[in-house]
Amino acid sequence: MIFFAVKVFRRVMTPATYNSATRTVLINQIYFTSVQILPAFLLVSAVVGSLFIGVVFQALKNLGLVSLLGNVLMGLIVTELSPFFTVLLITLRSGAAINAEIAAMQVNREIKALEVFRIDIIDYLLAPRVVNGIISVVLLSFLFSIVLMTSGILFSRVIFGISTDVYVNILLNSTNFSDIVVALLKCAAFGFFITLIPIYSGLQATHELTSIPIVVSRGMVRVFAAILVIEVLSLLIRLL
Amino acid sequence: MTFFAGEEALDKALRRFMRARPRHAAPVSAAIPLISNQEAWLNIALIKQYHENMPVEESRNMVFGLLRDLGLEKIAEKRNPALGEEERFYVMLLRAAMVERAAIVIDRPFKMLPQLKNFSAVMTALKTIDGLYASCDIYDYDWMKDKYGALCR
Repeated sequence: MIFFAVKVFRRVMTPATYNSATRTVLINQIYFTSVQILPAFLLVSAVVGSLFIGVVFQALKNLGLVSLLGNVLMGLIVTELSPFFTVLLITLRSGAAINAEIAAMQVNREIKALEVFRIDIIDYLLAPRVVNGIISVVLLSFLFSIVLMTSGILFSRVIFGISTDVYVNILLNSTNFSDIVVALLKCAAFGFFITLIPIYSGLQATHELTSIPIVVSRGMVRVFAAILVIEVLSLLIRLL
Repeated sequence: MTFFAGEEALDKALRRFMRARPRHAAPVSAAIPLISNQEAWLNIALIKQYHENMPVEESRNMVFGLLRDLGLEKIAEKRNPALGEEERFYVMLLRAAMVERAAIVIDRPFKMLPQLKNFSAVMTALKTIDGLYASCDIYDYDWMKDKYGALCR
């Protein structure tokens, strides 16, 4: 699996991978993963985000920790909650779909058909999906943060009586460059693995239909394990 | 056309054919299906897009033109499960013809077209696109010779 990931990463970084066919797949994948999901994603972000912000702000007020508002917003929400929530949503929607799609292609011998016509599986199937995963998680995570910060304006006014200017100042003063870099790297790592692992699992399917649910469930378990590992590693990096 | 005594001999010859032409072999076979989640035109255009980096619009126009020549323009946007047997066969044939200096090998055509009564329709299609490929072989069993009528005499 590690060797496979290294091989895919090298290919993703090679400009020759991106021909007309792979670019078309990449555009389609970004549309399916990042654009089609937008209305539902915005709605869920607004509902879950507002709920979360409301609870956290109320807790800060009750505990007398209003001075930590900025640190909580930037440290907890932007660098922890946004990537985690985004990657969960994309995994549930696109990770499972990619896993089933590749497994079905394997069962129908469509992977073999591509190989017969000398179409490299890594170039054509993996690279565009992995790049899409990275782009989608980074962008949607950023969007989730924006939605939360916006709902934060409302809650900070209602709960703490803070004006928008003061709220923005608190945010800017709490912004830590290294946290943003770690968050971006974490999003990229999430995006890479939540697409790579389902494809890898899908390719393990045999030519029997019954192998599809087996490799999909196995792939999804591995994806969730990878998400937890990345989350723990990012926490360790921030602590060092 | 080449006829074989049994499945083993035919499969062996097919593998030899593929090995001998690693860059130009272009099989049309039930064992090498179309990609289900792509439209018919994209299955055909994919070969040019991938190997020759042909822009999407250009490859799309080319494929639509070829499908029009075969009277199949209406199937361009359909996906594999929505295609009839003959339609699927011609899409596979065009996909094979997209390979550079294609050495097409049609593997047991009646396996893909069990309802086909007159094989000359396939020959007419091959003539229509004969500028696209370098050679075309048809592999089948000895006992299928009658199905090809005068073509194999």
